[in-house]
Amino acid sequence: MFAIIAAKDLRVLTRDGRLLWAGGLVVILMLVALAAGWNRQVQLNSERSAGQALDHDAWLHQGYRHPHDAAEQGMHVFKPEPSLAVFDPGIGPFVGSTVWLQAHRQSEVKFRPAQDATGLQRFGELSPAWLLQVLLPLLIIVIGFNSVSDERERGTLRHLLSLGAPARSLLYGKAAALASCVGILIAPVGLAFAVLIVARLPAGERVDVVYRIAWLAAGYGLYLGFFVFLTLAVSALARSCRTALVLLLGFWVAATLIAPRTASEATNLLYPAPSRLDFDNQLAHDVADAGRKAWSTHFGARTPWDPSVPLSKWGAALKVDDEAGYGALDENFGRLWDTFERQQRAQEWVGLVAPVVALRGFSMGLAGTDFSQHRDFSTAAEAQRRKIQNIVSEDLIDHADRLGNAHFTYKAGPELWASVPQFKYELPPVSFALAHHWASLALLAVMFCLSVALAQYALSRPLMR
Amino acid sequence: MKTMQPRPLSTLSLIVLHEARILVRDRTLLLVCGVLALMVGYGLFVGLAQATLRDRMVAQVLKHQQETQTANSGMLQSVLAGQTALIPFSNPANPAAMAGTLSGRYATMPNAPLAALAIGQSDMMPNYYRITYLSKVQFMYDTEIENPWNLLSGHFDFAFVIVFVLPLLVTTLGYNLLSAEREHGTLRMLCSQPLSIATLMAGKVVVRMLALLAIVIPVPLVVLLLIRPEARGAEQLVLVLSWSALVAAYTLFWFAVAALVNTVGLSSSTNALIMVALWTILVLILPVTMNLAVGLVSPAPSRTELANRTRVATAESLREYEDLYSADYRYASDPEALLVKNERIEVPSRMRAFFLAKQKVDERIEPLLKRFDQQLLQQQKLVDRLSLLSPAILINEALTSIAGTDSHRFLAFKDQTEAFHQEWRQYFSPRIQESRAMTMRDLSSLPRWHWIEMPASEINWSIWWRAMLMLALASGLGGLALSSSSRGSIE
Repeated sequence: MFAIIAAKDLRVLTRDGRLLWAGGLVVILMLVALAAGWNRQVQLNSERSAGQALDHDAWLHQGYRHPHDAAEQGMHVFKPEPSLAVFDPGIGPFVGSTVWLQAHRQSEVKFRPAQDATGLQRFGELSPAWLLQVLLPLLIIVIGFNSVSDERERGTLRHLLSLGAPARSLLYGKAAALASCVGILIAPVGLAFAVLIVARLPAGERVDVVYRIAWLAAGYGLYLGFFVFLTLAVSALARSCRTALVLLLGFWVAATLIAPRTASEATNLLYPAPSRLDFDNQLAHDVADAGRKAWSTHFGARTPWDPSVPLSKWGAALKVDDEAGYGALDENFGRLWDTFERQQRAQEWVGLVAPVVALRGFSMGLAGTDFSQHRDFSTAAEAQRRKIQNIVSEDLIDHADRLGNAHFTYKAGPELWASVPQFKYELPPVSFALAHHWASLALLAVMFCLSVALAQYALSRPLMR
Repeated sequence: MKTMQPRPLSTLSLIVLHEARILVRDRTLLLVCGVLALMVGYGLFVGLAQATLRDRMVAQVLKHQQETQTANSGMLQSVLAGQTALIPFSNPANPAAMAGTLSGRYATMPNAPLAALAIGQSDMMPNYYRITYLSKVQFMYDTEIENPWNLLSGHFDFAFVIVFVLPLLVTTLGYNLLSAEREHGTLRMLCSQPLSIATLMAGKVVVRMLALLAIVIPVPLVVLLLIRPEARGAEQLVLVLSWSALVAAYTLFWFAVAALVNTVGLSSSTNALIMVALWTILVLILPVTMNLAVGLVSPAPSRTELANRTRVATAESLREYEDLYSADYRYASDPEALLVKNERIEVPSRMRAFFLAKQKVDERIEPLLKRFDQQLLQQQKLVDRLSLLSPAILINEALTSIAGTDSHRFLAFKDQTEAFHQEWRQYFSPRIQESRAMTMRDLSSLPRWHWIEMPASEINWSIWWRAMLMLALASGLGGLALSSSSRGSIE
């Protein structure tokens, strides 16, 4: 019975113009989004790896120079683009990809692509993830809103039930038909994309990406499944097709368009981030404070660069100054980043009414384009900066400090530059993403189960009204 | 007491009154208006909060600037009087120190008076820069702190309510203008009266539109005029008028679409589907596709290239001033050498090198940065042209330019900041090169920042043509709907 219902519904749906037009549009957009993402990624990755190599090369071949000047020039490190960023670029456009490792200060990731964008940026970015998150639920609603109510209005539901068809078969048959419609549209594209991505990767990274894709499929499956069962439930509960449609569209607008914005505004109020000025002032204050303490314990000087600290201690002073600041940097940046993560965690609860919020976090996490992975990169870049600072200061202590006033005439050579290890950043494995986002997945599973329960209740009620 | 004169009520006003009564009775109108009022309120709250935050930031940096200036002049006075122990890196008599770490001015861009109406690009772009001798790449890309997730989600501001939500509410009120009458069997009855379908529909649209506009236009304006006094000027009045015209035209456009869809004679469900499909295409899909297309047609220069060029330029300029950088540095142990003598001061060669090197870096990166700005201008021009394809883009661009949060204004700010940065350097360059000590007079004659607002005529023009275009589009569609309704069937 289940199979017969599914086959019949599927036939009806595929004959309907709605699936053809709306589905066709979604597939075309999906292909465009994938092609654009692919193109962007190939370009970015080759640019970034070339940039990274060039930078390191320049560092090695900078000739003879005072080590602190070398540190002032510093180097740039580039965040590798995760391969699944084609699917979901996540916060990528808003955080940038390059960190300048320079002396004295921790840099943030700079050069955000979104700063080169026009006002259109605020309408969103066409990515496969956006299509699956926003447009596919709409498609499910549009093709499924009358799947039960229409049968009732025509009286065929009465016939069906009088033949002894169990409500459960009816529900799962209709669900299977709706799901296969969506499947027909996205599965071939998705599969081809997955194979292409995995085939292009070096063997070592393949397993990780396959896991990521599988988890993503699970997350999106639960999300779209939620919409399938919700649509059926509302279609069965509503008095007419029109009411079902209006209710479902209302939910879609509220849950996918309005809720994410409202949620981010609300969590901003709940856990406010400091303004740039407040943050910079606090950081400068803390760094200076820590510096003063360190200077007075090590050199008995009241202020940094006090005349009482001669240039014969300048390398040592630089080291003390740098190290004193590390704690303040860690604390201030840590606090800011914790605030961001807290804001995001608070938003996860909004997933209970608007599953798209939970799915977005999960999708970015698994694609490797969320904030936790961005933070991981920023931390690694800062560690590299400190490595450079320490090597440089040690060298100054060993060689330049002995020269007294002629401190700045000292020049180090290639062997010092070569002692700085090359920056190699590996994206964290899938387990890292899962550890951060299991709650979102659990939430999606709960929402899915709730929608199934609601649909079962809706269809098991006497339908003969 | 006056006697009531029997007034000849036209058919239209009769319909309007009748519709209003029905809509109030069945609570649809109240519900929709309630939802709209809530959203308008929340959107305004968000916009006002953001505007206040940005006001506060400008005030804070200016206060900070004032404090530094006072501290500097106090210190300079005591240095010139020979009272303070001299610290090589923060000697206010030293022009190189004054150009950088010690002083620095803020270039600030005030909020436009109507900023609370749309957040636009203002969460991505800074409204102040700290100008020192540092190179442009070091300060130009600092932005306000904001959770990237929130930037991605976008704000729930008033512009969002208008661009995205308002058409949906129009759809809710208008998808079954005629189809419901047809489905209830009342259309046939109505047509037996001396009444054309066009009049019927016009009456229905007028009630619904007035109800929505009664909330969406006066409420924000009253709130804004009450809370933000700067919104009360004459120039703002013109902007407010054009803003109202825009919003009205956009609402009219969507009602015209609804009317046109209704004249085709399909079922209410199908009408709703068509309306939502149109909304999805015009408001959701077209703008994101355009965003993609704009990036493809006029791609931004590579950020990686900028990073590489910065590195090369920095390395070259460090090498160029190598001799200055590695000169003997006796000032630490011989602070007397830093004293002002005959209005001259020995600028430590290393500090002179800092100044010159950063200047060189900028000169070398300038062409690339220019290309970025050019690029953004090109893209914006493209968007202006493409906005003809989607009313949502059209209105969004207009709303942000009324609020002064569009990319045109930010580009103007960036341009002016660059010029000021140049001026700041030019002020110090001869003093550093010629080792002239800073005097008290110098301190008060440091270059000052003046923000030059974009000409109002330019903004007004760009808004009015958009409003007119929208109105023309809406009347075109409306006319089409009216003419086809007179030919349509009532079955």
